[in-house]
Amino acid sequence: MLIDINAYVGNWPFQQMKYNTCELLLDRMNKFGVDISVISNLNGIFYKNTQSANEELHQEIRSARKFSDRFIPFAVINPIYAGWRDDLETSVKKMGMRGVRIYPKYHDFGITDPACIELVKRVRDYGLPVAFEYRMVDSRQRSWMDIDYVVGTTKREWNLKDILPIVKAVPDAKYMILNYANAAVLTPDEMNLVKTADLIFDTSGRTITNMSEFLKLYGTNKFAFGTHSPILDYLTGQLRIESLQPSEADERVKEQLRSGNAKKMLGLS
Amino acid sequence: MSELSRRKFIAGTAVSAGSLALSGGLMAFKEPQHLHPTSDTDTPRAKYDIMQDVAKYRKLDSHVHVNLASTDAEVQKKYAESLIDYSRRLQVQKLVLSNPVTRLINGVPDGSPEAFIRNNNIVLAVMKLYPEVLTGSFTFNPVHAKESMDEIKRCVDQGMTNAKVYYQTKINDPSYYPIVEKMIDLKMIIHCHAEVQIGVGGYRMKYNGFKPKNVSIPEDFVDIAKRYPEAMFQYAHIGGGGDWEYMCKALKNSPNVYVDTSGSNNEEHLVDFAVAHLGEDRVLFGSDNCYYQSVGKILASNLTETQKRKIFFENFNNILRKGGRNVD
Amino acid sequence: MSLAGLIVSGPVLDATEFGGHSGFMPASARPYDLMKDVMKYRKIDSHVHSDLYDGPPENNIAFMDRLGIEKMFISRPVTSGEGTPKDFRHYNDLTLKAMKKFPGRLTGQFTVNVPYQKESLEEIQRRVDQGMVGLKVYTQVKINDPLFYPIIEKMISLKMIIHMHSHCQLGLGGYRMKYDTGIRPNTSIPEDFADIAKRYPEAMFQYAHIGGGGDYEYACKMFTHLPNIYVDTSGSNNPEGMVDFAVKQLGEERVFFGSDNCYYQSVGKILASELTESQRKKVFFENYNKILEKSGNSIK
Repeated sequence: MLIDINAYVGNWPFQQMKYNTCELLLDRMNKFGVDISVISNLNGIFYKNTQSANEELHQEIRSARKFSDRFIPFAVINPIYAGWRDDLETSVKKMGMRGVRIYPKYHDFGITDPACIELVKRVRDYGLPVAFEYRMVDSRQRSWMDIDYVVGTTKREWNLKDILPIVKAVPDAKYMILNYANAAVLTPDEMNLVKTADLIFDTSGRTITNMSEFLKLYGTNKFAFGTHSPILDYLTGQLRIESLQPSEADERVKEQLRSGNAKKMLGLS
Repeated sequence: MSELSRRKFIAGTAVSAGSLALSGGLMAFKEPQHLHPTSDTDTPRAKYDIMQDVAKYRKLDSHVHVNLASTDAEVQKKYAESLIDYSRRLQVQKLVLSNPVTRLINGVPDGSPEAFIRNNNIVLAVMKLYPEVLTGSFTFNPVHAKESMDEIKRCVDQGMTNAKVYYQTKINDPSYYPIVEKMIDLKMIIHCHAEVQIGVGGYRMKYNGFKPKNVSIPEDFVDIAKRYPEAMFQYAHIGGGGDWEYMCKALKNSPNVYVDTSGSNNEEHLVDFAVAHLGEDRVLFGSDNCYYQSVGKILASNLTETQKRKIFFENFNNILRKGGRNVD
Repeated sequence: MSLAGLIVSGPVLDATEFGGHSGFMPASARPYDLMKDVMKYRKIDSHVHSDLYDGPPENNIAFMDRLGIEKMFISRPVTSGEGTPKDFRHYNDLTLKAMKKFPGRLTGQFTVNVPYQKESLEEIQRRVDQGMVGLKVYTQVKINDPLFYPIIEKMISLKMIIHMHSHCQLGLGGYRMKYDTGIRPNTSIPEDFADIAKRYPEAMFQYAHIGGGGDYEYACKMFTHLPNIYVDTSGSNNPEGMVDFAVKQLGEERVFFGSDNCYYQSVGKILASELTESQRKKVFFENYNKILEKSGNSIK
């Protein structure tokens, strides 16, 4: 079984996206053997009022049974925008959202802003995961209208060290850290935090140049299949798992990566 | 051809323009071919008479001003004529005028009693020019407690309907407390200028919007409304250029805060969004002297007939009725 | 497998509002054997390094085996330091050593630094004689600088391709310079390639790594009408649609497979594309092989 923990529908305003509706993504899943996808609405990154994006996603998934059977929706919540507590409750209780994606850079707040901490705690209290991204796109090909966290400048792209402070602030929440980019040398404390926290990375990010080494470094329970679709190609995240040699990962470990770790994170059994 | 009959004629031919395009008779219009429908579908276009739609609703403008830039009686008289022209053109039965002190002195709002008394006098004078159409609201600055209280009494006695305040003092400042209590006694609404913009009034101040620091923002309204649940507040102009989604979401759980739809901005869906979040009883028609938009944005909404009637007229009239100042 | 077969735990949902996951016919994906698809295509990696990002050539070989890459054209451009003849000879020696260690699997592209004109020309001939194929150059001098002219003429006579590092980003090479991020100013940008390709229509240029982080749409659009510019799809970036876009803009003959040592992405981005079987074969193998054929170095 294959569960993609990092996919989207919706638009990226600076470049045309293919396969960015439930229908098109489902075609992709069927073509390449993906059973279930965790999805959120890209529009939520750009709408000031993210709840409109959550409503769009909810309606799209509800529009056909084949969608609600194969997609796990995540809400996008901005905790420094009015009404977000109501939005979170509505998303979880009325719309069946199974987690929350948080965009500190796009929504412009610090990752340990009290509002962000409160949001993570509230999601934790629902028993659901929160998801943070290293980045959405490579800053070197960014549009002039995109955020200005840029490689080579003093306001660089994020690495894991930039995300860990929230894990430290709310160590008992569930975390999905997505689109692994930019290497960072962790201190022993930071590494310990990654290992002890309920935290997984997905396999879509470019910094995972050798999957086997990442499994050795963080543990086989720390990764789950992810595509970052429709922004990144649909197969590379899968290739990182399937091209592991038997000496590097046996079938049991591969199943963990394909779906086992994701199921645990998402509360599926 | 008179204007009216021309309009009727075009409306009458619009439905069948597609078939007419095949006949030579159409050439008599001497209109470029590309103006005619090229669609091969037969979807009929509805006849829509916007002025008929405008006339259908009684209207009570809850947010409109005299000339804010002048103290000259003649200028105000001329401006009043334009207000009357608007009321006739767009079928607005009553205008609740105000004249808050908007003047800045070296970037700081003029908060003097002299200024608010002078401004109220202008409104009172203009009201008297067309008393059947114009009424007014009074302004003050609560940091001058006694002068403000005296002014409220003076203005109410002369027939004014409610309070209109600006950015001299935040709406939840403790100096407002006695005034709010007075307004509760009078059963009158407090209409306060408001904004949501990054970098204004305490919201994401790293984006300096270069506005007076005491501009009221939704959180200030939520705060004072919670402290005084029996008071009524009018959050000004959700079409005033600010982030109306933020406004409506922030005010959702404050049942004694109303919003008016006035302002120069008329984003599609603004009115629908406000009603979806605040309910159909807390949204008030207002123009803020942006007349076309004020009516257009409500007519273009997906509100029901009942809801449109409430917003154009009934909601604010019900508020005025509490203080005995209803217009019907 | 689908959600229908899974028990969803967590917050209780308001059943009237939420469609729910129960009672539906399970719909699941057909099995897809990715590794079978990977192994189906012969592959020549037109842009990859040894002794640079991921260590000695053994690591290249490991990924060749993992992903069914038949042949790698490795290079070791001068990515730091002055780029003296001593430097580039040293790097070419490293490449030659790797070649000799894995003959038939690794072939070297030689590197030079054109301000050392005489030494560069001599180095090219020496390395060709040792069996290296193709030039790989970096950011020392722009590809359209007159210093390159004699080098390019030499490469024309050898019928070998000139593979140049490139980039396309806001704030580089005169393009919206208020966004300068400090990239080496002599980095070649699409305009530089267009310029030199027009001057030498008989030369062949490889615009490096359209997946290297830059704006690949910009680059491909720039080269639409320049038939002697080829691109390789290597780089750490694997935007969905990139390979399709490149083929659409440049045609199916001017796009090469390459990894730049980002192996997973390199194969994934092509397999995930909408290219036909015949186009995939061209991109993975045949297009670059045709270039090799011109100098008599094609792979059978």
